[in-house]
Amino acid sequence: MSKIFETKEGPLLRKVPKKVVAVDGISFSVPKGEIFGLLGPNGAGKTTTIKMLCTLITPTSGDAFVNGYSVARDEQKVRENLGVMLTGERTLYWKLTGRENLEYFAALYHLDPLDARKHIDELLDLVGLKQHEHMFVENYSTGMRIRLSFAKAILNDAPVLLFDEPTASLDPQSSRLIRDTIRGLKNQGHAVILTTHNMEEADLLSDRVAIIDRGSIVALGSPSELKEKVKINDVIEIEARNLSDRTVSAIETFSEVSKVAVTADPQSSEKGSLRIHAEKGKEVLPKILEFLVRKQVSVTKVSFIEPTLEDVFISETGRSLRD
Amino acid sequence: MRTISGYKATVGALTAIFWKGMKHYTRYPGSFVLILVMPFLFTLMIFGMGQFVGGSNASANFATRTGTTNILVYEILGSAVWMIGWVVVEDVGVALRDEQMKGTLEQNFLAPVNRFTLLIGLSLTDIAITSLVFVVVVGVTTIIMLPAAFLNLLQAFLILLVGLIPLFGIGFLFAGFVLKFKEPYIFTQILNLLFATLTGTYYPVTLLPYWVQFLSGALPQTYVIEDMRQIVLANQTLVSIYGSIFVLLVLALAYPTFGYAIFKYLEKKASVTGEFSKY
Repeated sequence: MSKIFETKEGPLLRKVPKKVVAVDGISFSVPKGEIFGLLGPNGAGKTTTIKMLCTLITPTSGDAFVNGYSVARDEQKVRENLGVMLTGERTLYWKLTGRENLEYFAALYHLDPLDARKHIDELLDLVGLKQHEHMFVENYSTGMRIRLSFAKAILNDAPVLLFDEPTASLDPQSSRLIRDTIRGLKNQGHAVILTTHNMEEADLLSDRVAIIDRGSIVALGSPSELKEKVKINDVIEIEARNLSDRTVSAIETFSEVSKVAVTADPQSSEKGSLRIHAEKGKEVLPKILEFLVRKQVSVTKVSFIEPTLEDVFISETGRSLRD
Repeated sequence: MRTISGYKATVGALTAIFWKGMKHYTRYPGSFVLILVMPFLFTLMIFGMGQFVGGSNASANFATRTGTTNILVYEILGSAVWMIGWVVVEDVGVALRDEQMKGTLEQNFLAPVNRFTLLIGLSLTDIAITSLVFVVVVGVTTIIMLPAAFLNLLQAFLILLVGLIPLFGIGFLFAGFVLKFKEPYIFTQILNLLFATLTGTYYPVTLLPYWVQFLSGALPQTYVIEDMRQIVLANQTLVSIYGSIFVLLVLALAYPTFGYAIFKYLEKKASVTGEFSKY
């Protein structure tokens, strides 16, 4: 399945057509009872993939099948078989109460009114909003809104569930609640696809992960399989100040080093961390440190770490997930 | 989880969309007051302009050209239909735009409810609102100015209900434009002002140049306004104006069919370019 957006850029009357490849021929299947993670940085094509799967965006080429129904030909059936949580808290009616929101969407999903009422009670209880069910959503906190969006996504008990960044901007307690519920849904036999740029979440939740970058899947497998692939190298993390692009490029030329990725510290423009994949890390580390000192880089912390999905991403793309 | 299907599912969805719309109306009451007051304000403005331009002969000139001396009821009927038309044409498109801005449009489009039901549901709220506008604005004015014609209002109301159907068709058309091009107010405001000029809102369409009357004849409000005036002010019945009602019924079939076809076409285009979530 692919998606190319055609846009026009430039000043009025001199606009130039431009094609942006958002998703480039990705293909995967998710069986019942599996949590499938789509992991990638912002702009990698995760949300476009989700939106194509749920019929909000028409693919430029290819097709996808949701519970056997084609997104290109059986849109209505696809929608009946999907529960979707899109990212953001503005996916609800703020001038309606939490319960009114769920009742409204229950009707749009053609749920039996009596069953829906009971189910809404259970869901409000599940996401901890029973006490606030009659409060307007505009008075909810961000976390409460996201929990209500989550409840809305599982309202129709669909066999296939799509969650786009389900725990973004949630506090740890709410995140845990959502993750535990997603695991429960998997155990009930739902096929779950979730997108995230949070590697810990992908690692914790997913049975399999597709790492997506610039619209393509660059790696696919279980988290342990993917991490195993990069275990042939040691992973060194160096936190430092005054790192320059030239210094990083120079480290990449060391024969023992296979990949280097830099992550800037969001709190400080000077600080950053280097993640280095190297054979025989213990042997090359003194050489790297000596080089950094010579380049007047002040090193604040050095550690050898277990490979994570971030390292899989670095190994495949040469960049950090948080670039 | 049990689901319902067929007419039960459609009625359930329509009811939910209707009540959601009504709750929004009552929780943002400002627009409600505006819709009720506007027909009176516009009528007063036209009345004042007529007196200013026509001077002491204004009433006589009006009677000669319209066949009635009851200026206020004549103008209020035109004004109310214009305002009701404005609400219906604008609200289906604006409601979608509003959903788009709120971020809820995609949530509605994710549900298996079909688009036609969704658009009709948005329109149902308008039917309730516009009926209320009709009862308050036209009803109150007629009771005060022309109590004998009050019972005729029921027939006039039936004309209005038939006249709403083609207006929803125009609303669907705009809803399509809104999905694809955004900026609904540019389309609806220009068009609604044009409607006031072309459909005999404040003067008979026969005063317009011949080729403009041809355009007027294609617009449902022209028939609604004229028929309602005939019923309320000239004591005509639904039977005696059957020719005009027939044209209105044809328009009631043509406009929604054409409007919905354009909506589906533009909706598909919007889904290709990923417009649903864009501001």
